[in-house]
Amino acid sequence: MHLAVYVLRRLAYMLVALFGVSLVAFVVTRLLPGNPAYMIVGVMADESTVIAVTERLGLNLPIHEQYFRYIQQLASGDLGDSWRTRNPVTTDIGARWPATIELGSAALILALAWSVPLGIVSALRRRSFSDRLANALSGFGVSIPEFFLGMILLLVFFATLEWAPPALGRTLGDVPPHTTGFYTVDAILAGDWEAFKAAAVQMILPAVTLAVTVGAPMVRVTRGFMRETMASHHIRSARALGVPERSIVLRHALPNVLLPVSTMGAIMYGYLLGGTVLVEFVFARPGIGKYAIDSISESDFAPVLAAVLLSALSYLVVYLIMDILHFVIDPRTRT
Amino acid sequence: MTGNPASPVTETPPLLNIENLTVGFRTGREVASMPLQGVNLRVPRATRMSLVGESGSGKSLTASAVIGMLPGGAEILRGSIRLDGEELIGASKQRLRDLRGPQIAIMFQNPRASLNPVLTVGGQIAEVIRTHSDAGRRESHHRAIDLLDQMGVPDARRQAGDYVHQYSGGMAQRAALAMALSCQPDLLIADEPTTGLDATLQQQVLELVVEQVSDRGASLLLITHDIAIARQTCERTAVMYAGRVMESGPTASVTSSPANPYTTALLRAFATVDEGRMYAIPGTVPTLLDPLAECPFADRCPNAAEECRDGVPELRTIADREVACVKA
Repeated sequence: MHLAVYVLRRLAYMLVALFGVSLVAFVVTRLLPGNPAYMIVGVMADESTVIAVTERLGLNLPIHEQYFRYIQQLASGDLGDSWRTRNPVTTDIGARWPATIELGSAALILALAWSVPLGIVSALRRRSFSDRLANALSGFGVSIPEFFLGMILLLVFFATLEWAPPALGRTLGDVPPHTTGFYTVDAILAGDWEAFKAAAVQMILPAVTLAVTVGAPMVRVTRGFMRETMASHHIRSARALGVPERSIVLRHALPNVLLPVSTMGAIMYGYLLGGTVLVEFVFARPGIGKYAIDSISESDFAPVLAAVLLSALSYLVVYLIMDILHFVIDPRTRT
Repeated sequence: MTGNPASPVTETPPLLNIENLTVGFRTGREVASMPLQGVNLRVPRATRMSLVGESGSGKSLTASAVIGMLPGGAEILRGSIRLDGEELIGASKQRLRDLRGPQIAIMFQNPRASLNPVLTVGGQIAEVIRTHSDAGRRESHHRAIDLLDQMGVPDARRQAGDYVHQYSGGMAQRAALAMALSCQPDLLIADEPTTGLDATLQQQVLELVVEQVSDRGASLLLITHDIAIARQTCERTAVMYAGRVMESGPTASVTSSPANPYTTALLRAFATVDEGRMYAIPGTVPTLLDPLAECPFADRCPNAAEECRDGVPELRTIADREVACVKA
C-alpha cells in the first residue's frame, strides 16, 4: 500500500477516535457531582446569581446541546476557558504541555538507553551477571511506585548528598526566551549555557525516576523478544552457514527485536506525554498531569476535557509515527 | 593425508566419518538421557545418502552434532566426527564457522522460517558468500542472483530483492537451497527438506536437490522419515533407530531385501500405508535414559532370541551392507 494513502486513512481514523474520546470524556465530566457555577460564585452568592452563571456557562442546556456547542468550539481551535486560572485553556496548556513533553522525552530517551541494551545483552548470556542485573533492575522498577522512587531520590541526592537542587519547578535560573517552550531547547537556541544547565538540572531526578519505572518493563520485553529471536529458525540457519556472531546479533536479530520493542516504547511515550501526575507533584513541575488533577478537584471542566483529549491525541500521534516507522522498517507491512 | 600402514586401503576415505557418536543431555551434573548411543555412519564422496528413521530416532540430532550446533544441554560424550579426515569434535568455534558454508552446509525443514523476514533473500545469500570469500558487495549480490537463477527462481534479479514473505513455499525452498550451496560445500545436509510442501512441489524440489548436488560433485545427507523419498533420491541409505544405525547399504538392496528386522518392520509400515491399511510396529520406541544393554529393538522384534539380550549388536559388514543384528 502507498504510504500517503495509509497515512491519510490513519488520520481519518484518528479524527473518529478523538470524537469518541471527547464524547465519553464530556459525558463523564458532566455526570460528575458538582456545579462549577457554585465554585465560581462562591458559597455566599444568592440563588439568582448561581442561575445566571449557570446559564452563561450553558450548563442549563440539555447535555447533547452542550456537547454540540463544545464541538463547535473545538473546531475553531478553542478549548474553552478555565474559571480556576481565568485563562483560556489553550493558554494554560501552552504553558504546561511543553514541560510535560520535555520531561517525557528526556525520560523516554533515558529509559531506552538503559533498558534496550541491557535487555539484549542479558538475552544473549543467560544467567550471566547482566542477566541477573536485568532481573534485579526490572524487578525493582516495576514494583516501586513512581512517587516513592522520586521521594527517595530527592532524599538521597537533594536532602542528604546535596548534589541536586531543590525540586522547585522547571528552572531556578533564567527562563530562556520562548521559541519552542522547552526550556532546555530554547536555552541552547539562545546560546545560554547557564539557563540550559539550570533547566536540565531540574529535569534529572524526575527523568531518572520515570526512566526507571518506564524502562523496567521494557528490559523484560526486549529480553524476551531477543531470546525468542535468537532461538528462531532463521538465526539457526544463518549460524549453520557460518555467519559471524556479530552479524547474527546486529544484522539478523536486532531488527526483528526492535519492531516489537519500538511499539512498547511508543506505548510508554504516549503514557509519558499524557502527564505523569505523581512525579509532577513530587518534583513540583507544572505539567499537564498536575493541571488536570487540580482542575478535576474543582469541577473545572474545560481543562479536564482538554487534558483528556491531549492525552488521547498524544497516544494517537505517537502510534501513527510508530506505524509509519514500521512501514519503513518492516517489509511485511508493505504488501 | 597419512595412510594407515597396517591396512593398505585402496578405497578413498569417506567424506564424513562418524564413529561411535554418543550424545547425552545433562541436567546439572547427571546425564539425564542419551538420545544418541554409538552412531556409526560413513558418507562417501560424491554420494547421496539418506538417513531414515522414525521421529526421535536421532537423525536430526546426528546432523546437529555434525555441524557443531547441538541444542542447549546436549553434549557429545564419546565418539568421533571426521570431515575429510579432520576431527570436528573439539574443533574451535571459529574453525567450525569457517567450515560451515564452504565444506558442510545444512538446510532445515520449513524454508520460510529459515530465511530472515526483515532481510532481502538475495542479501542473505550474498552475506554468506561474503563471509567465506573476499567477494565484495556487488560481486556477492551478482553471485546470489546467479544462484537463485540456477535454482529455477524465475526473474531472479527482481526476486533477489524481495523478502521471504513474498516467496511461495517451493520458491523459499529453492532460495534456501541456493543459500546452502552458495559456498560450494562438499557435503549438503538436508533435514526433511520437503516437509510441508505438496506432492508435486516435493518432487520438483527433490529433483533439484539431486541435480544440483550431483552437478557440483558434492555429497548429500538427506534426513527423512519417508522411505519413498530415500528410494527415489539416494544411492545409499542408513536406517536409524533408538539413537543407533541399524542397517546401512545401497538403497536398492536395503529397501528390497532388508537384513535388519527393524528395517523390515519400517518398510512394512510404509507399504501398508500405500495399501490403505495401517501397520504399526508393536510396542513403543525405548526411552533412552540409560545406556543400552541389549538390542534396542529386541522388545518389539518378531525374531528376538536369547542372544539379542547379550549386549548391543554392533554394525557388521555382511555382503554389500552393514547390519546391527546378531541374527543377520
